Amino acid sequence: MRTRRTTLAATVAIASLALAACGGDEADETAAGPPVAEAPEFEPGTTMAELAEAGTITVGTKFDQPGFGLENLEGEVEGFDVEVAKIIAAELGIAPEDIDFVETPSAVREEVIEGGEVDMVVATYTINDERRERVSFAGPYYVAGQQIMVRSDNTTITGPESFMENPDATVCTVTGSTPSENIRPYLASEQEQLVLFDEYSQCVDALSNGTVDAVTTDNVILLGYVAESDGAFKLVGEQFTEEPYGIGIERGDVAFCEFINETLAENEEAYVEAWESTAGQVEGAETPELPEPAPCS
Amino acid sequence: MTSRSAGEPLVRLSGVNKWFGELHVLQDIDLSIDRGEVVVVIGPSGSGKSTLCRTINRLEPIQQGEIAIDGERLPEEGKQLARLRADVGMVFQSFNLFAHKTVLENVTLGPVKVRRQSKGEAERRARELLDRVGVGAQAEKVPAQLSGGQQQRVAIARALAMDPKVMLFDEPTSALDPEMINEVLDVMTTLARDGMTMVVVTHEMGFARRAANRVVFMDAGRIVESADPETFFTRPASDRAKDFLSKILTH
Amino acid sequence: MDAVTENLDDYVSGFLTSLSIILWSLVGSLVLGMLIAACRVSPVPPLQRFGAFWVTTFRNTPLSVVLFFCAFGLPELGVIRSFFFFGVLGLVLYTSAFVCEAVRSGINSVSAGQAEAARSIGLNFTQSLRFVVLPQALRTVVPPLGSVIIAMFKNSAVVGAFGVGGDLWSTGLTLTSARGYETLPVFIGVALGFLLITLPAGALLHVIERKVAIAR
Repeated sequence: MRTRRTTLAATVAIASLALAACGGDEADETAAGPPVAEAPEFEPGTTMAELAEAGTITVGTKFDQPGFGLENLEGEVEGFDVEVAKIIAAELGIAPEDIDFVETPSAVREEVIEGGEVDMVVATYTINDERRERVSFAGPYYVAGQQIMVRSDNTTITGPESFMENPDATVCTVTGSTPSENIRPYLASEQEQLVLFDEYSQCVDALSNGTVDAVTTDNVILLGYVAESDGAFKLVGEQFTEEPYGIGIERGDVAFCEFINETLAENEEAYVEAWESTAGQVEGAETPELPEPAPCS
Repeated sequence: MTSRSAGEPLVRLSGVNKWFGELHVLQDIDLSIDRGEVVVVIGPSGSGKSTLCRTINRLEPIQQGEIAIDGERLPEEGKQLARLRADVGMVFQSFNLFAHKTVLENVTLGPVKVRRQSKGEAERRARELLDRVGVGAQAEKVPAQLSGGQQQRVAIARALAMDPKVMLFDEPTSALDPEMINEVLDVMTTLARDGMTMVVVTHEMGFARRAANRVVFMDAGRIVESADPETFFTRPASDRAKDFLSKILTH
Repeated sequence: MDAVTENLDDYVSGFLTSLSIILWSLVGSLVLGMLIAACRVSPVPPLQRFGAFWVTTFRNTPLSVVLFFCAFGLPELGVIRSFFFFGVLGLVLYTSAFVCEAVRSGINSVSAGQAEAARSIGLNFTQSLRFVVLPQALRTVVPPLGSVIIAMFKNSAVVGAFGVGGDLWSTGLTLTSARGYETLPVFIGVALGFLLITLPAGALLHVIERKVAIAR
């Protein structure tokens, strides 16, 4: 397991994003959110029954992902993933203050589910077959798409295909991330073109000082940086991947999976509100429709 | 046997002063050494005689005065100094043979790297010199395999290989076992007879009587007396020289 | 150990990237370290001060900070190179300070008489270092220098966090984070990769040490 290195620059960037996301109307935010169910009934023995009985739930999420799961200066996590977790908890009769959020960086998400350290993981967690061998996914609750961000004066990179044509062009993303895997097939030489850092903020620094030519990751994250850059950066090309974000739970817990899917389907209003109060605040981000859930297994 | 050319002395020290911190180790030294002259420097320990010897090729820098070799003023550090040092052979009390090189390599290093001689030429000449000092059979050994006397003779050959204008000997026999002293002194005596200009710091009075043209007596950083050996040993002028001679000649 | 066998290609390319970081850094830090050591023992006071300043700076700064300044500081000054270059540069600067001190201690272990004898036959400063002092210094230098080099090998893992894609360390992160393999076996694989470099290097150093000891 590794500890995240947070540079000062990253902290500043995150803090300013967090402030932007708050928008200053905290009263509204607490008033919003789905009503907490009172003493809901579940079939004995199910995960739902156990959680409802306990009155508390442990949720793994990112603490460093602007818009989705980001720790603010008071030590609380905020973001779309957090709000989604609140919707599910509410249906179990658990109030937001009874949710225990724990930080789960990408590398340990399967481990904490398998080890029973968390009840579910909502952490920009892309559903794929490799991961399905170790955990089950409810959802997807959001489909992200990967895109390319460049400096505004760049005319040579027009999409992921440009990297084949320009073997000198470099692209930056985060070590061990899904975007780093997705960009590989588009590169002429991984060795020469792919730059990997621990944090997106480092990629953004490298883009602004000219050591890399592009940054790639999910478009919502990039939109945040474009909005912050005062016109220095722009997005190019279409979204070239579909990243269905799922909710990771213990492998084979079909009942819990179906419960989560139903809960999301029944709370569309809360879902839209969750988006608009978090990731949706970034300029240019469209409000998504809840995707069709994948079958539970 | 010595043939001296008139005019400029080969080594000239004028008004030389040196301090080690507070300690004034060389005081107003004036000394001229002619071509082919053999000067033996004697004096009690701490008199500054080794330091004097070491200033002549600037292993010790001086703070005041001037040292010239063959009319050329000794420069500060740098290429000039290295070139001048090549013309001044030096033999140390503790031999200082290059420990990682064979005897032959010790002698050829200077000629090859400084004089730009070919390796073959340097080796031929080196073997000649090693034969001359009587250690020709040891050419392929490393210094640690040799006795002290043999090592010191190699050191003399190493210095000679540069064809120096003058040779400095800094107590060359002080670190030797008594039975080895003579083999080194014999080599030095032969060198002196052959006309080499030499400055020798030593306690060997026999050598001084036998080979020196002049004896320089130092005490407390000053040259107290300078005379031919006969005069110095039989009729020393200063009390300090008398005192010194009485101490070393009676035991 | 499926994680390793299934991704052998990635491990091999990660291994090669790490190896090339290590080899470049090895050559660079040895050469630079010896130059700095030469400055420190030189008779020229400004060079001595420069050498001391260099060692103080890089020996007392954490490697990640040195790398940070290379990767993000130099571009601000208009130096735009690959992160591989910046990474190797940072590792070289950092390691050179340690190489310098190991070499300097070796030089100090050679008796002053050796250098005096070298100078007295007319060798200049560089020549007496090269032909007389350094060859003897290297004998005492091998063990401490070996430790410095092995530490540098391991430090190369830190370079991976500064933009160099696809070294052993970031390959490990890719496998665990992006592809969802279990952490422990993946990083055992990473550790094996590093051992594959450090163990033969250690054995080689041992051989050199013994050879040098015999030659003494």
